[in-house]
Amino acid sequence: MTTRPASSQLLIWIAITFLLFPVLILLGILMRSIQAGEISALQPWFYPAMTLHGVGMVGVWYVAAMACAADVLSRHVTLPPALGRLAIAGTVLGVVLLLACVLLGRFAAGWYFLYPLPLKGEWPLWSAVTFLLSLTVLGATWFIWSLGLLWAISRRFSLGQALGWHYLAGRTDPVLPPSVLITTVSLIAGVAALVSAVIVLALFYLELLTGQASDALLMKNLTFFFGHTLVNLAMYLGVAVAYEILPEYAGRPWKTNKIVVVSWNTVLLIVLVAYFHHLYMDFVQPGILQYIGQVASYASAIPAAVVTIFGALLLVYRSRMRWNLASLLFFLGLVGWAIGGVGAVIDSTISVNARLHNTLWVPAHFHTYMVAGLAFLVIGYFYHRCQEAAALRESKGYHQLLIVLMTAGAYGFFLMFYLAGAFSVPRRFAVYPVEIGHGASFAGWAALFATLFLVGFVLTATEVGRRWRAALSSAT
Amino acid sequence: MRGHCAALLAILALLPVLASSDAAPARSIDWREGVLTGRMVPDIALRTASGGAQRLSDLWRQGPVLVTFFYRRCAGICTPFLEWVRDALQATGGPGREYRVVALSFDEADTIAALQGQAAALGLRDAPGWTFAITGTEELAAITGAVDFWQRRNPTTGQYDHDALLVAIDGQGRVLRAVLGGPEASGRLRNLGAELRGTFVPFYRVAGGASWRCFAFDPATGRSRLDWGMLLLLLPALCAVTAALLLFSAGASREP
Ligand code: HEM
Ligand SMILES: [Cu+2]
Repeated sequence: MTTRPASSQLLIWIAITFLLFPVLILLGILMRSIQAGEISALQPWFYPAMTLHGVGMVGVWYVAAMACAADVLSRHVTLPPALGRLAIAGTVLGVVLLLACVLLGRFAAGWYFLYPLPLKGEWPLWSAVTFLLSLTVLGATWFIWSLGLLWAISRRFSLGQALGWHYLAGRTDPVLPPSVLITTVSLIAGVAALVSAVIVLALFYLELLTGQASDALLMKNLTFFFGHTLVNLAMYLGVAVAYEILPEYAGRPWKTNKIVVVSWNTVLLIVLVAYFHHLYMDFVQPGILQYIGQVASYASAIPAAVVTIFGALLLVYRSRMRWNLASLLFFLGLVGWAIGGVGAVIDSTISVNARLHNTLWVPAHFHTYMVAGLAFLVIGYFYHRCQEAAALRESKGYHQLLIVLMTAGAYGFFLMFYLAGAFSVPRRFAVYPVEIGHGASFAGWAALFATLFLVGFVLTATEVGRRWRAALSSAT
Repeated sequence: MRGHCAALLAILALLPVLASSDAAPARSIDWREGVLTGRMVPDIALRTASGGAQRLSDLWRQGPVLVTFFYRRCAGICTPFLEWVRDALQATGGPGREYRVVALSFDEADTIAALQGQAAALGLRDAPGWTFAITGTEELAAITGAVDFWQRRNPTTGQYDHDALLVAIDGQGRVLRAVLGGPEASGRLRNLGAELRGTFVPFYRVAGGASWRCFAFDPATGRSRLDWGMLLLLLPALCAVTAALLLFSAGASREP
């Protein structure tokens, strides 16, 4: 079997991801256990844990997806190595600041730190400032990273070519891999999201320095522009990787065509306004934006997701698919994305949202496409690259067992969120009062399922780790 | 945090003053209005200008009640204040079936005749929804204490120095919202009047104002229009497009 060495930067990202993910999962299990009423002594840690878990998970899977996309991109364009080193250093610094403000300062404003909560909490001012600094470092790093990757793409493709416009005119030269198209779309939208973060942070600093208050509605809009969009794009970056790698296992090409170009260009147009669905309950938001939000939520989900899922099914159908840990995870990752997406589209319907807003239905759907979607895709890619470099023997039965463990654990855990949401259990309650006491039993089962997932993940990470060590010796 | 520290410093600085009995409250108007929300108001007995007797709860059981304080001999703000209240409420439909106003005298020297005189002076003798009332010593102390109504008698003139306070009470005797101050608070009082009639008022001004607002709210008309802050929402997309165009035009010297 021929081997292909892995890049040392990707190997570092794998180590960072696999170190942080289990810790953050443990925080998730901790939260579910507190909600189940099992360890009430730790109740005061619920909201700090929720904040660290939320920001940590979003950050980890965003950088992991960026790292995978950059690695795939490096097959088609030349990346400056300093860019990757900067991304690693900035991310590590940001994470350290984040850990400090939550663990030492008990900062607990939740992952989207809605204005003016960070400045009004029980925690000391320095921890709020440290949190803002952490986001500033992370935001600035990712901003430069995104611009750097776009610059690398621009060395080979014009903007129109990178967005596939020549396909619309019927030309296929230069050939544009779908992964490059999707990455370009995601990076441009990502720059917009990060600019929004810059504005939010600047307004926070302005208030800290001068006492000048900000408009809460404006801050909420900007915060979700940043938060929602970034999470959404992390998912797309994972999908870009699937477009590149699944064909290698199916033994058939998965090419850019007119439909793919149209759907991803549509995404670029509307992904920036889909976040309005986070403000459905903000009655001061102009009504027209609410309708735009609903239409855009549907429109950003449907073309890209339907085209991708359909494409993936056609790719696999009657092919001589080589199923291993990587290809199974890619396939299941797209399935998880679709299932979570259905949950999301249901919730983004205004009349339904009136019932489901801020219930556990919300974490239900985003955990589905973040864990069983994005995390599966990324872990699949990590395994794929390490195995490609190490070429160890693969034990099919054992790998299938790992897949079963992770899938059963994950979906059992999601199901408890969905059921609790459907039964009106609100999200972000450390302790369920009697009226929603049924939330506690869902939480108990969820903690068990999440533990099952964690066991599956640790065993999978061990499998990746063995190949990672072998890959390290030949890394470029 | 920041606000708390400032408040703490203010309290520390004012401790000597506060200790010297009955100085006017030093807190900001926003703070003083805000702390009242949710307080329970005692159910006092009222004797009204028409000579009848009623309990405050008889009124709040029929719907929200707006309580305000005055005294008949006032040579200061009472009459202009009540005129302002009358006009501001009238502008949003006025009291009547949806809510009632109780103007309570806090001067024990006031009699039923004094109440009638005050009502007549305002042209509100038989106005629907208006009740002018007096109450007993202990009950007066209970209600003024419950809503932090501040007053001090000047021994030489016999006149009172006092707050201009309006407190809206719900059907359970809880404070819905308070408004402190005169004509500069017109917008807030009009909102309150509209709200007590069941109109939903989505906008409130915050203390100090915000730097980049999405809306400019006009308290005189109760309407809002888009403000410059909304433009900030276009900035991210604009920056992203510009950055992409610049980067790709700089990269125009393509690799082979
Ligand atoms: C499989 C392991 C995971 C477990 C056990 C877990 C558990 C939890 C729990 C219990 C909550 C609080 C729910 C509530 O509001 O009551 C939560 C919130 C959250 N989780 Fe996870 N989670 C996991 C994976 C992830 C992943 C992969 C992401 C990636 C983005 C993520 C992102 C978030 C976010 C953003 C929140 C919301 C925090 C907030 O409301 O401020 N989680 N999670
Ligand atoms: Cu007076």
